[in-house]
Amino acid sequence: MTKTRIAIASALAAALVLPVAAQAQGNTEKCYGISKAGKNDCQTATSSCAGTSKKDAQGDAWLSVPKGACEKIVGGKLTAAKG
Amino acid sequence: MQNPMPLALPDLQAAFAAHVAGGDRADLAAAVVGDSISAEARLRIYRHHVAYSLGSALAATFATVHALVGEAFFRSMAQRFIGQTLPTQPVLTEYGAGFPAFVAGYEPAASLPYLEDVARLDWALNVAFHSPADRRLTAADLAGIAPERLPSLSIAVPAGTALIGSCYPLHRIWNASQPGASAEAVDLSAGRANLLVLRRADDAAFIVLDAGEAAFVASVVEGTSLEIAAERATSAGPSFDLSTAFARLLALEAFAAPQQKLGDGPLKAPG
Repeated sequence: MTKTRIAIASALAAALVLPVAAQAQGNTEKCYGISKAGKNDCQTATSSCAGTSKKDAQGDAWLSVPKGACEKIVGGKLTAAKG
Repeated sequence: MQNPMPLALPDLQAAFAAHVAGGDRADLAAAVVGDSISAEARLRIYRHHVAYSLGSALAATFATVHALVGEAFFRSMAQRFIGQTLPTQPVLTEYGAGFPAFVAGYEPAASLPYLEDVARLDWALNVAFHSPADRRLTAADLAGIAPERLPSLSIAVPAGTALIGSCYPLHRIWNASQPGASAEAVDLSAGRANLLVLRRADDAAFIVLDAGEAAFVASVVEGTSLEIAAERATSAGPSFDLSTAFARLLALEAFAAPQQKLGDGPLKAPG
């Protein structure tokens, strides 16, 4: 067994017996959670007239501008940075 | 009334699907009976209803994207996606796997370069939420194994687990987009984020990992031994502390319970 391997073995073994407080800390740390209402698979629109609009929803996509919480997100570049 | 040549059933179905996706089909209108409402208007009801229902399903699944861009923009974007990608199965919660990639290429959203990552996070949370909450690996499961054998172990992650890396402070963007969030601005240049999405007992959630922890989890997900995962984590984050990180992940129930008792049978050769 190499020195590194021994160190890894001891570190892993130590993790199993870390004091309860440390583990509880893990449990109570900041989690960003979601819970959802059930979503019907045969979902219907809220109004049966919702689909009867004469205006075709196609074609206006290029004119629209996002208007939501994105106003809070500032800085950065306008081009996507990949990574 | 003139009787047109009836469409064969597969052609009728294909024409209806094309119509629903946005293409006007004269042959389909000819096959539909109109009375006080014309055939074209009847068909439009279906198209709008499908668009509205699928758009609502996407808005529910991609709630953060929806909050970021607003209802009008989201509907517009969703409409374009729906026209390209109708569901291939009936479960609406499983609809939208391709939406993040679509968002990445959606030009009107180019001013929000982080939007694709937000969509990936929304999708991962959705998948986690609909994954089973099986029993998880605990310290007790590992306690009976000789310490020198621990490095050779490969452990699995539960269904629904996802690691989302972003160049942007994705957790802050997500947080700022939740209902009731403070008006505080998020600085996009605050640096990259590595998020681990988890299925928990009653909900889905994500936590923020540092670079070393993220490399560790990525390696475990890949199926490597804990030893290799630890080595990769140390390279990725020099301050990586294996004991703390492993204890934290165990406490978060980030690993799947073993299918059989760990430590039984031959272990994989190290390396």
